Amino acid sequence: MRALIVDDERLARKELIKLLEEHPMIEVVGEAMNAEEAYQMVNELNPDLLFLDIQMPGKTGFQLLEMLDAVPLVVFTTAYDEFALKAFEVNALDYLLKPIQPERLAETIAKLSEKERAKIVAERGPEKKLGLHDQVFVKDGERCWFVSLNNVRLFESDGNYIKVYFDNNRPMIHKSLNALDEKLDERAFFRASRKHIVNLSWVEGIESWFNGGLMVRLRGGDKVEVSRRQAAKFKEMMSL
Amino acid sequence: MQIGGWLLYAVVQIIGSIIAFGGTSSDGVFFLFFEALVCLLLTHVARVLLIPGNWLKIGVPQLIVRILSMSLLLGLILYFLRMPISFLLGIYDQEVALDPGGILVLSFFFAIIFFLWYVLYFTYHYFDQYNKSLKYEASMVQIELNNLKSQLNPHFIFNALNSIRALVDENPLKSKQAINQLSNILRNSLASDKKGLTKFEDELKIVKDYLGLEHIRFEERLKTEFDIDPDSQKFFVPPLMIQTLVENGIKHGISRLTAGGLIQVKTRVEDDRLKILIRNSGHLVNGERNAPSGLGLKNTIQRLKLIYGYDASFRIVNENDNFVLTEIIIPQKQKYESTNRG
Repeated sequence: MRALIVDDERLARKELIKLLEEHPMIEVVGEAMNAEEAYQMVNELNPDLLFLDIQMPGKTGFQLLEMLDAVPLVVFTTAYDEFALKAFEVNALDYLLKPIQPERLAETIAKLSEKERAKIVAERGPEKKLGLHDQVFVKDGERCWFVSLNNVRLFESDGNYIKVYFDNNRPMIHKSLNALDEKLDERAFFRASRKHIVNLSWVEGIESWFNGGLMVRLRGGDKVEVSRRQAAKFKEMMSL
Repeated sequence: MQIGGWLLYAVVQIIGSIIAFGGTSSDGVFFLFFEALVCLLLTHVARVLLIPGNWLKIGVPQLIVRILSMSLLLGLILYFLRMPISFLLGIYDQEVALDPGGILVLSFFFAIIFFLWYVLYFTYHYFDQYNKSLKYEASMVQIELNNLKSQLNPHFIFNALNSIRALVDENPLKSKQAINQLSNILRNSLASDKKGLTKFEDELKIVKDYLGLEHIRFEERLKTEFDIDPDSQKFFVPPLMIQTLVENGIKHGISRLTAGGLIQVKTRVEDDRLKILIRNSGHLVNGERNAPSGLGLKNTIQRLKLIYGYDASFRIVNENDNFVLTEIIIPQKQKYESTNRG
């Protein structure tokens, strides 16, 4: 696994690299000292794993994740931060407390390699679009999730935000639907209308609707209207 | 509450008269409401009289005598105040009104009502006082708890330990020194009695140790400067107070700046008062001068007030776009020492 270490303290990064020497399956491909730097390096290096500090000058670790389109596996590192610790516990996130105990690190890495094995290797085209096997980071107040796009059935725009529908949750992310649409793999996701993007693998039924549009029924019961403009394209895609 | 109580009294009276006489006239209803209004005015006067008369502070026997006589007096007053009203309403009957037996019985009845009012009033007051003292105690405990909390900042300690761990390989000598600095801080924060005072030079040493450790963590991102007036050594300061403020400057200033910044500690002695100036790179976000929001600052203000009353001063301001200035002025210790040993 190719890992990127994000921490504002040189000594903290150095110590983690030293500890990781014991684990040859982790290859440290880069070090970033703040969120901005990390954002660039994630996009350039495309690592499988982030070791991420929460408190950094400028943006926090959580804010970095919110900026990223596709999020690699993440292990949070913190010395002691009541709020972060609560967030880790509530949301069952992987984290390491500094100073990092070698045994704890070994446990965490064992868990990660399981996750990595369970994950079907993402088949990313050269254009690097977001497919069903990528995960995104979603934060809504106290709660946060790493959501596999596989589980997201619908994106709905709501002002400057997008509502992300998965399981029983529909948290908001601060992005525009147009920007998201450009990044999503068009073989997996379909722009149904100005307001909606649906996950094609969740489509259960299609009915014709007024004005030559369509009404799409998703597993779980959500219904989404496909605008007339998009209807022809949609039929074409679904008939394949 | 007064108004509500007397309204209830009027309503009860009306219902009572309906039940007793099988009905009542609109004049009767009006009369009873008016009676309640008069009662309200009377008890209001009685309440106003309580305060200059020191009713809330005198002993119980004296209070009972006062309440009984005041109730009788109010009963009589009410009886006679009722007369012009009933006259206006045309239900005035001179014989009934001036019958001495009637006066006695009805006044006594009113007196009982007023007596009950007094009982209610004092019961309410008693519980209110009790409640307030409980709240006061709770807030004092909270202050102490906050002080305890601010003594040890776990985030700082674990970060320092983490840096030291890395330093063991890189620079063993420096790591040994760091362990000494950390243990010095820990020992002081455990031993220091928050109520007492500590020598300025001891506090300065803690501040230097603390900054030494933060320097390991922030490296070239943290620059420090000291400009200490030699006369400062005569002074005593609340333990860990300067350290807390310096830590505040790091936490909210330096640690948020990607390029880092400067912490400057400066003291001056003027007119037998010690002026401590702490400058840090950064910017106060809320910019509120008199109501700093952080827990550390609140605690500092509370501590200064507990120890020095109004003789010390504290302020934190944006000195300019790049620096935050924290300023404390404290007086000589002599007269405070004795009061703060208990």
